[in-house]
Amino acid sequence: MTKQKHNFCLAIEFFRKISSMKQTKILFYSVFSILFLLVGAFAAFSQEDIETVNDSAFENQTRPPVVFFHDTHNENAAIEECNACHHMFEDGKRLDDDDSIGMECSECHCSKMKDSMADLIRVYHLQCGGCHLKQKTGPVMCGECHRKR
Amino acid sequence: MTKRSVQNISTIPDEGIDKGAQRLTPDQVSRVIRRHLEEEGGARLKVYTETCVHCGLCSDACHFYLSHDHDPKFSPAGKVKQTLDKIIRKKGRVSIDFIKKTAEIAFTECNLCRRCVMYCPFGIDVAYLMLFLRRICHKLGVVPQYIQDTAHSHAATMNQMWVKDDEWIDTLHWQEDEARDEIPDLRIPLEKQGADIFYSVIGPEPKFRAQMIYQAAVIMNAAGMDWTMPATPGWDNSDMCMYTGDEEMVARLKKVHFETAMRLKTKRIVMGECGHAYRSVHDVGNRHLGWKMSPLPVMHAIEFYYELFKDRKLKVNQKYDAPVTLHDPCNVVRGGGLHEMARYVINETCSRFVEMHPNREHNYCCGAGGGVINCGPPYTNKRVVSNRVKADQLADAKARGAKTIIAPCHNCFGGLEDIVKHYGLGMEIKFLGDVIYECMDKE
Amino acid sequence: MVGVAFTVFLAGSFFRLISMWRLAKKKDGLIFSYISIFFALRSIVHWILPFAGVSMRKHPAMTIVAFLFHVCLFAVPIFLSAHVILFKESWDISWWRLPDMAAEIMSWSVIGSCLFFLGRRIFLPEVRYLTSLSDYLILAAVAVPFISGLWSYHQWAAFQVVMIVHIISGEIMLMIIPFTRLSHMLFFPFTRGYMGSEFGAVRHAKDW
Ligand code: SF4
Ligand code: SF4
Repeated sequence: MTKQKHNFCLAIEFFRKISSMKQTKILFYSVFSILFLLVGAFAAFSQEDIETVNDSAFENQTRPPVVFFHDTHNENAAIEECNACHHMFEDGKRLDDDDSIGMECSECHCSKMKDSMADLIRVYHLQCGGCHLKQKTGPVMCGECHRKR
Repeated sequence: MTKRSVQNISTIPDEGIDKGAQRLTPDQVSRVIRRHLEEEGGARLKVYTETCVHCGLCSDACHFYLSHDHDPKFSPAGKVKQTLDKIIRKKGRVSIDFIKKTAEIAFTECNLCRRCVMYCPFGIDVAYLMLFLRRICHKLGVVPQYIQDTAHSHAATMNQMWVKDDEWIDTLHWQEDEARDEIPDLRIPLEKQGADIFYSVIGPEPKFRAQMIYQAAVIMNAAGMDWTMPATPGWDNSDMCMYTGDEEMVARLKKVHFETAMRLKTKRIVMGECGHAYRSVHDVGNRHLGWKMSPLPVMHAIEFYYELFKDRKLKVNQKYDAPVTLHDPCNVVRGGGLHEMARYVINETCSRFVEMHPNREHNYCCGAGGGVINCGPPYTNKRVVSNRVKADQLADAKARGAKTIIAPCHNCFGGLEDIVKHYGLGMEIKFLGDVIYECMDKE
Repeated sequence: MVGVAFTVFLAGSFFRLISMWRLAKKKDGLIFSYISIFFALRSIVHWILPFAGVSMRKHPAMTIVAFLFHVCLFAVPIFLSAHVILFKESWDISWWRLPDMAAEIMSWSVIGSCLFFLGRRIFLPEVRYLTSLSDYLILAAVAVPFISGLWSYHQWAAFQVVMIVHIISGEIMLMIIPFTRLSHMLFFPFTRGYMGSEFGAVRHAKDW
């Protein structure tokens, strides 16, 4: 399993390297555009883009990124209000009529604290897993969200 | 050189064990054991039996295991498994035959040498557990005949060898007479009040090795020591009751011994070259009397000789010439830390010294200690066969030149004699006192 | 569940130590008068440093494996990043975390050590003689949390089920510590310390 993961990372690395080389750039772009069109065409028939939960504060991730289908999730969970998740606080009080769309969680949750990474991880886990536990549905085990591909 | 054949050792007939077992009923057995576990089974018993992780690391410590071709039945934890574990698990409901087997294991397959304590990561004291079993056997009246006889002698005469009061005094006079042929003004001061030293010996000295008292007197005389011996019971420092599990007697014996020293108003007790007696006076007996350490200073002969040489009280005419090796007795080395002092004395008196390997705290037991030699002739062969590793160790020292074994302990002396004879090693065995007596300036 | 496991472990250990203490006071009072802190520590130190004693030098493989095993056995559960994060989530406390790669290697070491111990129990006559069913069960109780932990980390087949096995077996291991031979963890300092004191202060000898 680790080996597969390794290969995968190496492939990405390789890809990046190639893309930065001038000689190959044109070739690369053309190949890339074709690929893009193909994928785009394929994606148009599939239900939704694959999304992952991402935050720029996670510089070196120790676990695979969490796969998260935003729209499907919210449909299944019947979440109407954006700020059910994208909440906004002021003076320790949750604002009902404001949200934090467009912000990264780390902008608020990863600031002056000592072990900021653990804190950030904690709020993510509580945000997702906490709700799953409360609703008694949805994944709660590590590997269920941090899926290895 | 050493015979490799290991005789098949099955249960050995022993009057004491057999007759004792005949008198028992299974009901008695379980009642006595249950009461014993309740009354005397404390935290040590519980922790030792419950935390042993069965790792077997203690095996390498035990000369029984090593000598029986690594037969696990003879490993320290293996002996506990066969006996105590089952007794505890069955809460004492074991058969009479089981008790007989237990007695044989506890009395004749462990020298209580405590070497295994140094090999078990947890410091589990198998010697303590074996003594616990011996005490059960004692309470059940299932004790090997010969050692029980010495315990009876202790109880009746306060010495180990049925030496009568007047015989003791006679022996001292006799040795004094003999010694005066050599040193005309020598005395063995009897009942001297306020002397510096109360010199005490074990019962077998007046009985079989009276010349050791003679030698001690010559050493005392040459060193100009202020010493005395009592004319009453209490002169014997030995203690076989410590090994039969008769702890009440241990207390009585040591009480008489210490009180004799007090009565004579001596400043300290100096003991002859005996290991188990040292254990009893310096480590065990005092505890039974409620003293943390002995109530007055106690010195083993090694310590005393060390002091004499250190203070230049003795002069050596000519060093002992044959190369010597030293057997570190368990009870004065693992039990008293006197190994460097012994080497100092040897260095002062002998010209060539060969170490045995292993040595000091790690030396192998002689196989006679812990009362095993006192269990008598029925077990002599088993005892010698069970210590082949000692013979190998001696043979190795011999190969490196050693001709004489110095064994500063009566038990070790006897045990090594049997081993040297059985395995045809052809080495001489001496007490430290013998060597000193031979080379000292007697004036 | 975790709370229960920790409570049983802590309360059980406490109970075992206290009751043993009281038993010692009642029946082995002499222990307390002979304990010497200096000599107790002297002995303990010699037994927690690898190869400090003759017994350890005699069995180099066992010594290396046993030390590796015990270090990993303690370090992995305490410093595994996933565990620390779980503590962080529930109680908002956190501490240093092991890199996953290190934790993985250490977990494999624990499993390897368990296999080594199993091998000793099966192949060494002196150990086999002493071994009973409970010894195998205890070995399994220690190995299972690590095997299942690695399994779910790698998300091998049915890792959701294995994760539950991991949680339960880990809790079982924690809970049985005070009540089985694993209690050697609790009593080691006392047995060794007592012997160290007797050997050092009374008998003027080493006990290693
Ligand atoms: S005390 Fe000595 S004889 Fe007894 S089991 Fe331990 S090593 Fe063997
Ligand atoms: S070394 Fe100690 S723990 Fe291991 S089997 Fe022997 S007595 Fe038990």
